[in-house]
Amino acid sequence: MSAVAERQAQRAWGGGYDAAKISARVLIYGALILWTIISLFPIYWTLTTSFKTAVNVMQGHLIPWIDFQPNWLGWRSLGLSPDTIGEISTVRDEFLKRFTNSIIASLGAAALAVVIGSLAAYGLSRFDYKFVWMRNKDISFFFLSQLILPPVVLAMPFLVLYKELALLDTRIGLILVYTLMVLPIVIWIMRDQFDTIPIELEQAALVDGCSVWGAFLRIVIPIALPGMVAAFILSVILCWNEYFFAALLTSTNAKTLPVMVASQTGSQGISWWSMAALSTAAIAPLVVIGVFLERYIVKGLTAGAVK
Amino acid sequence: MKVQQHEMLMALKASRRTVLKGAAALSALAATGGLTALSPQAAAQSELRTQLLKIPGVGKGSPTDADWQKVGEMCLGATKASVKEGEFKGVELTFMGLNNQNLHNLLFRGFLKPWEAYTGAKISWIDLAQADYNARLQQSIATSTVDFDIIEMGAPFEGDVCGKGLTSEMPDWVKKQIEFDDIVNYLKPPVGTWNGKQYRVTIDGDAHNFNYRTDYFADKDLAKAWKDEGHQGEWEVPKTWQKVQEVTKFLKGKKFKGQDAYGYLDPAKGWGGFGFYFLGSRASAYAKHPDDKAWLFDIDTMKPRVNNPAWVRAIQDVVDALPSEPADQINADPGTTGFQQFLAGTGSMLAWWGDIGSNAKTSDSSVIGDVCGFSILPGSDDVYNSKTGKWDKLPSGPNYAPNCAYLGWGVYVMARVDSDPVKQKAAWSAAAHLGGKDLSLWTAAYPSGFQPYRNSHFIIPEWVAAGYDEAFITSYLKSESDSYNHPNAAIEPRIPGIFQYYSVAEDELAKIYAGGSSAQAGADAIAAAWEKITDKIGRDSQIKLYKASLGLVA
Amino acid sequence: MNTALPETAGKVHEPLMRSQAEANGAWGRILLWLSSLILAVIVVWQILYKASVIAVGFDTWRPVLYTFILWAIAIGAAQVLIRGERGKHALFILPAVAFTVAMVIFPTFFGLYIAFTDWNLSSLTGRHFNGLDNVRSLLGDAYFWNALRNMIYYVLFVLAQYVIAFGLALLLNAEIKARKFFRVAFLLPFMLSPVAVSWMIGKSLMEYRFGPAATLARHLGWDNPAFFTSPWIARLSIVAMDAWVWIPFIMILLLAGLQAMPKEVTEAAKVDGASPWQSFWQITFPLMLPVSVTAIVLKIIFQLKLADIVINVTAGGPGGATDTVSSFIFREYRDRSNVGYGTMLAEFYLVIIIIFVTLLLKFASRFMQRTT
Repeated sequence: MSAVAERQAQRAWGGGYDAAKISARVLIYGALILWTIISLFPIYWTLTTSFKTAVNVMQGHLIPWIDFQPNWLGWRSLGLSPDTIGEISTVRDEFLKRFTNSIIASLGAAALAVVIGSLAAYGLSRFDYKFVWMRNKDISFFFLSQLILPPVVLAMPFLVLYKELALLDTRIGLILVYTLMVLPIVIWIMRDQFDTIPIELEQAALVDGCSVWGAFLRIVIPIALPGMVAAFILSVILCWNEYFFAALLTSTNAKTLPVMVASQTGSQGISWWSMAALSTAAIAPLVVIGVFLERYIVKGLTAGAVK
Repeated sequence: MKVQQHEMLMALKASRRTVLKGAAALSALAATGGLTALSPQAAAQSELRTQLLKIPGVGKGSPTDADWQKVGEMCLGATKASVKEGEFKGVELTFMGLNNQNLHNLLFRGFLKPWEAYTGAKISWIDLAQADYNARLQQSIATSTVDFDIIEMGAPFEGDVCGKGLTSEMPDWVKKQIEFDDIVNYLKPPVGTWNGKQYRVTIDGDAHNFNYRTDYFADKDLAKAWKDEGHQGEWEVPKTWQKVQEVTKFLKGKKFKGQDAYGYLDPAKGWGGFGFYFLGSRASAYAKHPDDKAWLFDIDTMKPRVNNPAWVRAIQDVVDALPSEPADQINADPGTTGFQQFLAGTGSMLAWWGDIGSNAKTSDSSVIGDVCGFSILPGSDDVYNSKTGKWDKLPSGPNYAPNCAYLGWGVYVMARVDSDPVKQKAAWSAAAHLGGKDLSLWTAAYPSGFQPYRNSHFIIPEWVAAGYDEAFITSYLKSESDSYNHPNAAIEPRIPGIFQYYSVAEDELAKIYAGGSSAQAGADAIAAAWEKITDKIGRDSQIKLYKASLGLVA
Repeated sequence: MNTALPETAGKVHEPLMRSQAEANGAWGRILLWLSSLILAVIVVWQILYKASVIAVGFDTWRPVLYTFILWAIAIGAAQVLIRGERGKHALFILPAVAFTVAMVIFPTFFGLYIAFTDWNLSSLTGRHFNGLDNVRSLLGDAYFWNALRNMIYYVLFVLAQYVIAFGLALLLNAEIKARKFFRVAFLLPFMLSPVAVSWMIGKSLMEYRFGPAATLARHLGWDNPAFFTSPWIARLSIVAMDAWVWIPFIMILLLAGLQAMPKEVTEAAKVDGASPWQSFWQITFPLMLPVSVTAIVLKIIFQLKLADIVINVTAGGPGGATDTVSSFIFREYRDRSNVGYGTMLAEFYLVIIIIFVTLLLKFASRFMQRTT
């Protein structure tokens, strides 16, 4: 992609090696660096806070070893510091259990949402449906509207529903509700994807004797895969950080990380270091995803962005 | 042992009387210095308690999971007396509580691990963030999804839980095991009971006390400026809210130790209902008349008193004081005010729960450990009598009414275990273990989220032996004990939905503090909203429960 | 264009197996009716059991859920049998529809019912139908209207977020070194959880005394850098935190759009001698409109649900200046257990949003080539 982009950028920002170009460069990199600082500083702040004692927090110290002496306080409170890692720690057990549940719930929900969401998006992109008065446009809107209601008012209905279905405090239950939550976004993104895949490819396959499903699985899916990865990653991020339903519908077996982060506040002040350590540990898997799969996000969404 | 404690207690009460006579805080410190001299026997404490307080030792950093387990192991004696080894094998219990700062539930885990090993029962845990606690509890009850056998709960929720018959009545053997009589008076029935039945194993005592900076009030320059500006009386720790206001306005714009000086700190931002307690602390001396048990509602009609002259005066005090407080005060909740301002050296006076005192010395974030003094909440020169509608001046001097806010945490066993006698005994045994006398000494002394709540917690030599500074701990414990035992203490109504009242009040108060409405208009709006809530929950039953919660016969 | 495929597909198969199709159709109808009958019987049975009319039944509704899943599969099979190729088309959308309906059908109706009751969880007598009382109190509820007015400000700020995100997307699309580093760096804020954002940024980084943001502001000459005390500054601070999280999301959508743009167009403009400024406004921006609309609509929907940060950082203060409808409902529903009224607030808000989003999409579809 970069060759195209760069050429285009060259046009956009002026081609010649002259003063204008140099000052444009300075502006571009200046802006890039400024925004990098804005983006990363809060994360840096969180990371370093996990190594601070209270005094360092209260005095706003910034740079380890220069402003303050790093300390394992935050990580020790999770049983994850070098000196506690070997010992039995109920806090670490708690953390690891929640961490595992978070992974299962967000990966499970994202996978389910991408599968049924992609199917629906393909259908909406290729065929004309008519269900009573609802046509494609209305069905799309039906899905989108599930995104709109503030989740807090679903508390009682979902509690009653989950109680009756014996889904309270189960990871399956969490996966189902998260799938519902991200499904509209997946459908929205994937429909754009499928819209841009030339229909002639499938028609050729159909003439060759493929069924609609055969064409979809063998021709369309490979082309749309980057888009599905992008939708999957966005879904994982949204599910990973979900707090409200996690706090409502889980108790011992299916509990997830965000509730533990919020618990660092209360009547004893705030354990900044523990909260920072937890936040850091919670964001780490997502950062790994970001670093390794970032190109899929852009590439995947690129296919569907402009027709 | 018993005798010694009794003597200690008597000694403490004697010295409390001298404090109540109006000794200044500094002289109170001097007076209590003599207290320990009175009781040399205290050196002979039980070996166990001495050992307990050495885990891990004051100043040795925060206790860890290993320490909690050790404490649980050492305090297992009472359990061993009433339960055979392995008696609860196969019993599974679920425990719901908070996991604030990785304490509470995580602390209980450590305490109960040896108990589980001995009895053979297994406990699984539901940890909640404090912000979710109220909603989660109410919603579980309403949808009958109560999925726990034991719950850590504050007394204000008793109306919602015990009032609906969801809890198991305390067996007599538990009462004996936890030495129920040792608990301070204000936490004895009616607190913890409902319709005369005992439900609660107390594990915490709560009251707002008054925290102040001794260095501010010993400062010569400030004293001189105070005189120069023509203020009445000496430069000293305020003992009435009128003085608190005067000092707060006086300090505005002054410097102290190179920093901006501030007086009283009002947490102006809501805290899920908990912010209302801080207005309550300002109002109790105005609104709680010694002849009248009630101060929030009229007893017979549940008519709110929050818009009567006493409460409106308290609200107006906050509005008047806010311009003299730090610039971000309007967005400071009680947590910020206590831990990021007062403990970190901003401001000189604060009403808070005992957590401030227990953190002032031990918390790393505190810079005021050596300059922090404690007393009961300030009083008022006059008190509003809602029967006559007049302000009374009491012959005994200023009216004091410590705000016993929240009444502390307790452990309750849910009624759903009652059908299975083994499970019932197991649940109560676990609760009794957590509410044990010796274990509670440890939780009172070390970071746990729990304050002293037993008479036996006020034996100062035990604390000193553990490494506490004597003057500091005496001042602290005295302020707690004096609040708990005050004859005119303002006791919180344990009626259903009490946090609904507080929460809606917080919204209106935020509006008033931001200048959106006047104190009277805002208070009237709170009263109107409270009337609505009462009607929704049911006025007749609320009246009945309110009376019961005040210990009046319904 | 979309209609081309099914017709072609139909024509290929249809003449070959007409009689077979009729037989299948009969079987399909049997399957359809039979499975629906079984589902209906089980549902009615369970309702009667739960209503204590009959003595035998399931403890929970879980078996009904399994029946529903089987029914959904049977319906899918029946579709194929009855309608052949067109039935196979329906298979694409059926799972998502069945899933969504199964998840929301009960909450929707139960929620609607709750909205017309006086349900307060602390009330010993439970819930009672109270007609339009909740609507009446809503119409007179100053807090709700105040929050709704705040939402207008918040939604307008989406445009500012869009402008910044567009700028960043252009930067990332320009000829730069270390592109991957910048892209990952710009994306990271989206990954921090709202709880962490509220506390680590709102209450720590922007803290009045020790927060580095306040320190920086003091250096820049703002003596009293209290970010949450005066209404507009507080609102802007909340918006800034929200923007920090969500700009990466918008930016990624826009960046993808920029990279998919046909290069010939911009090159042609270059040949015509257009300045970068002209070429942006005359070519890039119009071409980017569809993806811009997608990004803005999605962001507006998320913005309308803004709550976490407000609840944690300002609790709606000072004096309601930063309150959002969601955070107000949150207090009403959770802190005050006022479930009936809280639900009515949300349903009313839902109607407003649906009208607003429908209008927005109508308005937006003018810019988009495809139908939405």
